Amino acid sequence: MNTLSKWLGDFVHPPKVARLDLGRRAVLAAGLGGLGAKLLFGIAPQASKRSFNPALIRPPGALPEDEFLARCIRCGECMKVCPTNAIHPASMEGGVEGLWTPLLNMSVGYCDYECNLCSQVCPTHAIRQIEVPEKQKIKIGLAYIDRNRCLPWSYARTCIVCEEHCPTPKKAIWFEEVEVVNIQGEKLTVKQPRVDPDLCIGCGICETKCPVKAQAAVRVTSAGETRNPENQILLSPESFGEG
Amino acid sequence: MRLGLLSSHALLATPAPSQSNPHPKAPSPQPPALSIAHYKSSPAEPDGIAEEARRLTRQAIEALGGMSRFVSKGNVVWVKPDIGWDRRPEQAATTNPDVVATLVEMCYRAGARKVLVSDNPCNPARLSFPRSGIQQAAEKAGAEVIFLDERKFKRMSINGKVLKEWQVYQDVVEVDRLINVPIAKNHNLCLATLGMKNLMGVIGGPRNRLHQDLGGTLVDLAAFLKPRLVVLDAIRVLTANGPVGGNLADVKRKDTLVAGVDQVAVDALGATLLGYKPESIGYIAQGNARGLGAIDFNSLAPKRIEV
Amino acid sequence: MAQKKATSRVVWLRRVTQTGFFLLFCYLFLQTVYHPINKAGRGVTFFFNLDPLVALNSWLASHAWVGAMLLSLLTLAVTFVCGRWFCGWVCPFGALHNFFTSLRGGSARQKLQVGSYHPWQKAKYYALVAFLVAALLGADVVGWLDPFSFFFRSLSTSIYPAINKGLVAVFTWIYNADPGVGPVRLTLVTEPIYGFLRKYFLAAEQPYYWGSMLIGVLFITVVALNFWRARFWCRYVCPLGALLGVVGKNPLVRLKKNAERCNNCRLCLVNCQGGATPHNPLEWKPSECFYCWNCQSDCPPQAVSFAVGFHPDRGPDASLRFAADKVPSGDRRPQTAGSAPARAK
Repeated sequence: MNTLSKWLGDFVHPPKVARLDLGRRAVLAAGLGGLGAKLLFGIAPQASKRSFNPALIRPPGALPEDEFLARCIRCGECMKVCPTNAIHPASMEGGVEGLWTPLLNMSVGYCDYECNLCSQVCPTHAIRQIEVPEKQKIKIGLAYIDRNRCLPWSYARTCIVCEEHCPTPKKAIWFEEVEVVNIQGEKLTVKQPRVDPDLCIGCGICETKCPVKAQAAVRVTSAGETRNPENQILLSPESFGEG
Repeated sequence: MRLGLLSSHALLATPAPSQSNPHPKAPSPQPPALSIAHYKSSPAEPDGIAEEARRLTRQAIEALGGMSRFVSKGNVVWVKPDIGWDRRPEQAATTNPDVVATLVEMCYRAGARKVLVSDNPCNPARLSFPRSGIQQAAEKAGAEVIFLDERKFKRMSINGKVLKEWQVYQDVVEVDRLINVPIAKNHNLCLATLGMKNLMGVIGGPRNRLHQDLGGTLVDLAAFLKPRLVVLDAIRVLTANGPVGGNLADVKRKDTLVAGVDQVAVDALGATLLGYKPESIGYIAQGNARGLGAIDFNSLAPKRIEV
Repeated sequence: MAQKKATSRVVWLRRVTQTGFFLLFCYLFLQTVYHPINKAGRGVTFFFNLDPLVALNSWLASHAWVGAMLLSLLTLAVTFVCGRWFCGWVCPFGALHNFFTSLRGGSARQKLQVGSYHPWQKAKYYALVAFLVAALLGADVVGWLDPFSFFFRSLSTSIYPAINKGLVAVFTWIYNADPGVGPVRLTLVTEPIYGFLRKYFLAAEQPYYWGSMLIGVLFITVVALNFWRARFWCRYVCPLGALLGVVGKNPLVRLKKNAERCNNCRLCLVNCQGGATPHNPLEWKPSECFYCWNCQSDCPPQAVSFAVGFHPDRGPDASLRFAADKVPSGDRRPQTAGSAPARAK
């Protein structure tokens, strides 16, 4: 057909009006801009594979960081669906390239043990679609007790709300009964919590529920995350790149 | 109304006057203060255990004189189960849903106008309510299952030994009857979480601070709220890693249901079911010492039934 | 102001369609919550699946894509034939900008000034090139400016939490203050409304997000810029628009003008959403045209139409269904024959 052949022909030899007149140099400049941006992203400390931001706790199921940044479209679906308000848009924790990618802020919310909604809604599968049993074995970080702020450690008061809330079937927080002396000079026995680094999956409920306000006495950092063999503490399967 | 008409402005309620509970040391012509129903077998999940739960609940309440002893015609009742955690019923972190449903049905048959089922859980309510099975079971039984409204937590005068004031959910003091339906679980701070600890689910505010003196604060709360009836679910109990649990190996079948009007006695009995000495649990010992109830539950001549 | 004729049926259809997709986007947004037991709403990523920019970037940066992204091929295929219809009829972000642009008043002359094509509209193509090159090298940052990402992210981390907070505050105030006279209290009306909102609209718990201020301010700025330039985002910024503009730069459905009817009033330019200079089919920019049909609707002598084919001129007997409205009878003039270009006016 005349129209059809003209139409197809116009793709090969676009007439003047159908041309998108962008200018070769300008396009080249734009391309170089993209290249420049990529190069500048690449010299952020996160890209060195030695320096890891402790606050960059990704949702469970997130791909390793390079692939994650290559897939995440910063859409905010995971942030909307998270039932505990744990997922937030990053500012500079992942470098400039990581702006508005998701990370978990345990002082606001925690990762619910039986939930995998973020992995259900991610449109590009930057957060892999995983079932709940698999999610429960993925570590997104490791909690540590800040003994200076913890009530039974420093203030001779009973607590262990962290241990109470820990969801792993064998709790990742255990405690030692220790005799302490309070300010009146009285001896009392308190239960001092400790984190088991093998069991802790970094879900953050301990940090969220800790009664010590303005910086919880138990906090989670990204170290120990399953998806990153470099960001590890222990000699463990994760550090071999397994798990 | 249990505590007199309360406007939405001033909510400094005084504790309820003591209700028509029998004196713990009363002789037997009075209806029993405590009943323990035990199932002879241990049927399999899920259908067998549902039937067990229904029969145990009915028998335990009948042994106390029937639900009409606790619920009158036209009453608004709050049945308060443990829906604290995003867990399945088999994991014994939340109350058995069939126990809750049976209680709801019995309340309606006793003439209740409205039965509310709700809790202020530790995990998000919209997760724990359906996963525990309680939302579905209660709604099927005709209860109004509500997600708590933040606006209705009001500062109230507790006037306890430790707690002077606390944020309490308005409805819990406005309803006619409060029925506390806990599940018996291990708890590493206070050894066991039973009825009095379950009352933490009707308060708001920074509840995670109460753990600094659970013995004192829980007794204050229990004395303030004074549930009309406590039904302790010990069909499945959590023996370790409570109160959240998760490992099915920590769940043991005790196939028992305890019902009573004496909060301390029910908790003391529950403690023994879990294998703890009641005196070693702070809030039970303090509850007894402050006259809230009797730690020596046997002195109440509990009615034991085999179902 | 020059005479205004009744809006054509096509434009009404477009508005309905735009509103429909906008409401669908909002509905899917609200559905992106927990459903018992442990399910997100179904199909909540529908718009992202339709989005060819997301599919292209994902594939370039990670060499992988998600099955649902195949839906975006549909978008590309139709754009190939019908140009940037997506921007005019489907895109909910575009609908939002369309709405705010229409709120802007002013005379036809003022609208012409801010609505005409501007060479800076090329900026979005350069942005697209930069994003694509970065993606080729592994940096998938197009999500910052992808319209659905921008819109959804702004809603989820900033706008919706703010609306939620405001509404809850209002209903809480009414609940606590309890205004009324005797037994007639305002809460009798507001509490059922609040119950309804809690069930279907409000968040289960008030959400709070880091970085919400910046995201919210950007969103409000972008929307407010519609008062400065018509459909600012769509014309100057949107990389998806740029991609569709590239793919749709040679469409089969094209603008036509009946040269004899045209009286050179330039009304077609006043409400042109894309700045596509529709007054002359030979100068018409298919890459900027959203196929909004405003030009056709606004043209008093009904000289403008859209139809398949390359002839720039179009007589009264339009065969395509969505061409100009029926011509009053008695006005049948012979068509200008051949491929002679229309007299440029």
